[in-house]
Amino acid sequence: MFFLKEETKVISMHPSYFGPNMREYLIGRLNEEEEGRCTGDHFVICVMDMVDIGEGRVMPGIGQAEYTIRYRAIIWKPFRGETVDAIVTSVKPTGIFTLAGPLSVFIARKNIPSDIKWEPNTVPPQYTDHADQVIEKGTSLRLKILGVKPDVAAINAIGTIKEDYLG
Amino acid sequence: MSNFLNQDFGSEDDEDDFNPAPQEESDAEEPRAKPTKKEHSGGDGADEENDVKYPRETDANEDDDAKDVEDEEEIENEVDEDEEDEDEDDEDDEEDVARPQKRVKRVANPFIEDEAGVDEEEDEAEDEEDELAEYGMETHPDDLDALPQGTETDDRRHRQLDRQREIDASMDAEKQAQMLKERYGRNRAAATDSLVVPKRLLLPSVEDPSIWGGRCKPGKEKEVVYSIQKRIEERPSGSRNPIRIISAFERGNIMQGWFYCEARRQADVTEGLDGINFYYPSQKLTLVPVKEMPDLLRVHKSEELLPGGWIRIKRGKYMGDLAQIEEVETNGLNVTVRLVPRLDYGLNDDAFGAPAADAKRKRGAVSTVRPPQRLFSETEAKKKHAKYLSSTSGLGGKSWNYLNENYVDGFLIKDMRVQHLNAKNVNPRLEEVTMFARGGEDGTANLDLASLAETLKNSTAEESYQPGDPVEVYRGEQQGLIGRTVSTRGDIVSLQVTEGELAGQTIDAPVRTLRKRFREGDHVKVIGGSRYQNELGMVVQVKDDTVTLLSDMSMQEITIFSKDLRLSAEMAADGQLGIYDVHDLVQLDAATVACVIKVDRESLRVVDQNGSIRNILPTQIANKIIPRRDAVATDRNGAEIRSGDTVREVYGEQRSGVIRHIHRSFLFLHNKAQAENAGISVVRTTNVVTVSARGGRPTGPDLTKMNPALAMQTPGGGAAMPPPRRGRDHLIGKTVTIRKGRYKGLVGIVRDADDSSAQVELYTSNKPVHIPRDILTPKDPVSKQPLSMGRGRGGGGPGGRTPYTSGGPGRDGWAGGRTPIAADSSRTPAWNSASARTPAWGGLSGSRTPAWKNDGSRTANPYEGNRTAYGGVGSRTPSWTSGSKTPYDSSSGFDAFASGSRTPGWNAGANTGSRTPGWNSMSAGRDQRDFDDAPTPGGNYSAPTPGAYAAPTPGAPTPSGWPESAPTPGGAFSAPTPGGAPTPAAFDAPTPAMGGMAATPGAGYGGNDGGPRYDDSPSP
Repeated sequence: MFFLKEETKVISMHPSYFGPNMREYLIGRLNEEEEGRCTGDHFVICVMDMVDIGEGRVMPGIGQAEYTIRYRAIIWKPFRGETVDAIVTSVKPTGIFTLAGPLSVFIARKNIPSDIKWEPNTVPPQYTDHADQVIEKGTSLRLKILGVKPDVAAINAIGTIKEDYLG
Repeated sequence: MSNFLNQDFGSEDDEDDFNPAPQEESDAEEPRAKPTKKEHSGGDGADEENDVKYPRETDANEDDDAKDVEDEEEIENEVDEDEEDEDEDDEDDEEDVARPQKRVKRVANPFIEDEAGVDEEEDEAEDEEDELAEYGMETHPDDLDALPQGTETDDRRHRQLDRQREIDASMDAEKQAQMLKERYGRNRAAATDSLVVPKRLLLPSVEDPSIWGGRCKPGKEKEVVYSIQKRIEERPSGSRNPIRIISAFERGNIMQGWFYCEARRQADVTEGLDGINFYYPSQKLTLVPVKEMPDLLRVHKSEELLPGGWIRIKRGKYMGDLAQIEEVETNGLNVTVRLVPRLDYGLNDDAFGAPAADAKRKRGAVSTVRPPQRLFSETEAKKKHAKYLSSTSGLGGKSWNYLNENYVDGFLIKDMRVQHLNAKNVNPRLEEVTMFARGGEDGTANLDLASLAETLKNSTAEESYQPGDPVEVYRGEQQGLIGRTVSTRGDIVSLQVTEGELAGQTIDAPVRTLRKRFREGDHVKVIGGSRYQNELGMVVQVKDDTVTLLSDMSMQEITIFSKDLRLSAEMAADGQLGIYDVHDLVQLDAATVACVIKVDRESLRVVDQNGSIRNILPTQIANKIIPRRDAVATDRNGAEIRSGDTVREVYGEQRSGVIRHIHRSFLFLHNKAQAENAGISVVRTTNVVTVSARGGRPTGPDLTKMNPALAMQTPGGGAAMPPPRRGRDHLIGKTVTIRKGRYKGLVGIVRDADDSSAQVELYTSNKPVHIPRDILTPKDPVSKQPLSMGRGRGGGGPGGRTPYTSGGPGRDGWAGGRTPIAADSSRTPAWNSASARTPAWGGLSGSRTPAWKNDGSRTANPYEGNRTAYGGVGSRTPSWTSGSKTPYDSSSGFDAFASGSRTPGWNAGANTGSRTPGWNSMSAGRDQRDFDDAPTPGGNYSAPTPGAYAAPTPGAPTPSGWPESAPTPGGAFSAPTPGGAPTPAAFDAPTPAMGGMAATPGAGYGGNDGGPRYDDSPSP
């Protein structure tokens, strides 16, 4: 689910950047560092705007300045039970690996409808029900997230397509 | 007696009861005084005696209680099984408690009578036979309770008795016996129940008869007991020569060769055992301590072997293997079991040795390498051992005979003795059981999982439930409840209901009725009971008691019982064996490294640098290689790759993955989408190309580092700057003269030096003295001329001062100034020129002052922050050099200076004009020191070789050193003061320049000559 979240970040800046463009530097830096970042809990999709760029504080001893920036960002936190669209990145006998945006979702064999079978002999290998449904690399899938496992800097999830309107 | 049960009358009672029951009818017609019986009924005594003696009292009880019995039947219907067992145990100990000899007390109120009666009876003498007449009079106090007050005197009961007797007489004896048995079989238990006699009171005490253990021929214990029983029957207690053994029993297999007799005295036992077959009279009788008596009678239920059940093999080739019982022979000793065979089909045999012939050798071989469990395959057997193979077709299908063993459907069917089987703690694991399942894709199809789970349930350890586990009650009255465990006590689990109407309540439930509850998507850890122990994974499917989870590590599906799982909060990789973790890099030997791909309980599975996979023991690992963060290799294209980068193989399978480890020219890649080897593969660095660098993120400038744009601007000269010198202090070994203090004027050689002081060996006294470093002046040992000493440090303290005094050699100074970096040291020329132009000093100094001031303000720019100082420097540089080089020397320096100062850089600097206080103070400090120095102006003035000065001027160097270089100008700045300034005018001039706001004082002062110029410089 997407949220608009206000967050805070501290950026330190070398004195060599002090000058009229400082603000741009800071914003550029913020965007670079934050956008696409995964906290292990959510993904930061986009930095919307700065709420406040605090005063810079020169840190004693090293001359760098610290800016505390408050900004708003669109984040995406995947939830259990959420239905997302994803693209298949690879198919294995054990299941299907997909990417739903930044989130990698694995669909285990058990969570694939039983009529869709693993077909290793085709090139590339695929899951198919030998009719019109073929799941291979690049296929778009609509899946439901079954569980989300947060990691330090990544989120792994498992999903299912074994329900109505999924697949 | 009123309390009884009509459900299964304990057959055990009969077995244990060695006292032969007298005929039921014997006392039947004996007349009884009913009122008496009621009055002196000592309830407790009755309870205990009734254990054994119930038949004797049957009639009497029946007579008076018939009605009550009917009433209370339902009430007392439930008696705990526990109690029954316990009573069995205690029975023998208690049965001897003698009947009370006399009922002395006649208390009208039976309620009071109870307690007193108990004690009295226990102390009574043992003669039973005398008391037989009284047996029937026993009435339980409960009965009395049940009766209305005054019944004792009511003759209604008499009439009732008469009627009852008539009925009894009409019944045939057997039927009556059956009925009585039914009625009174349980009365002991019931009585215990109603009176709540504490267990410990039922345990034997010293007053009770002792138990003697005797030896007999092993295996004949039962016969001995039977003969004793027979003898007691022959010579009952009332006879002429009674056997005084109260009871006898044996413990079968547990105590082979022993039997036990209960009696008052040892002599009674010896006498009673006289001449019994298989009894060894030569062995002494052993008295069983009172404490151990209950243990003798504890009942261990033997495990029942039922076809279809699971057992483990105790010994032999299949030791520890799970087997299923096919058939149990009626004698209970032989069992036909079904096993998954471990066969090597002769692969490990010698070419000549016939495997069937040398069974001994084979056994040896078995102990070393045990073939894995696999279903029998006739094709493999035919390869080498065709001659040992024969097939038989039966009704149920084809079976094979191979090496004298029978194989059906791939399973080994074997007859085994019960002793070789272990039916306890079998704990069949799911993966073992699945091997027995015939057919079915995932092996679970043909398994009766429910029954298996049932067997497992019994062995469920309480530890498997920990507080916080989500559980579900799946049977019993609270079926369907869902909650979280709060605590466990033995078999009872308290759980807090989380869903439904009872939510929030805490209830207790036996472990048996619980199962853990997981939802799909839960992250769980396998906690035990299988080879998947410690595996982490996410639940994919939940089906009753079995949970399918997807292992984090191997991306494989594992089906497991929910009892072996618990929720996991960990998110790290699983499995650790000691210090080794999955994906660790380990050193196997000097030339081999390997990456751990699986951690079992005892062994590790690794893939080594050649890509081969092996199982090793932790002891085979030389050490663990700590990953180096900075390990770098180059890929096929020469690009740098580090761990964390994603690379792809160019040839072959085009595998790709994230670099986990770099070892020499081998890369261990991890690819999550790859199931085998835990996603690890090995490639050579020369075979890969970089797909993406780690994260690939920081593309923009790093704000915490020097702005690269500025760094670029400084002409490549940065490299030309001599590196700052470190190491040996330059002062050491030099000849110095001391300028101040006690040793003023003395000359010596510096033996040692640190930042602040030097140890000087004086020429005169030849002894080392410690002198502050700043009052030393290096001299040429021969000419005794002062030398310029570059400190080679950033500080530029004393060394920095020297240059001013540099007179002629100023050229070198210029050279230094000309080095591009000297943008900063471009000030130097000013000094030089200033000092060189001594005569003009007065005028010049004034005019120059603002310049310094500007300089100072320029320095402040970085602090100001509104303008990049470096830009200023860059722009200034040319002007300075140009200005300083020629014009200064040609003493037209003013113009040059002025023009220089008019360069944009200058202007900017001058305009900002704001000096940070730090700057001021710093420069002031310098001033002060310089003033100290001032007394020896000559030295200052003339001393330095500017070359030395120029080189070290550290302020100049790298742009990053800019703030550091601040002192330099300070020093340099103040320097002119003494240099130019014996005159107070000169002295004053710089001071305001530094501290004050630019021009004013300076202008005022120096206005006489350089005034206009002076105005010029600040004005832009």
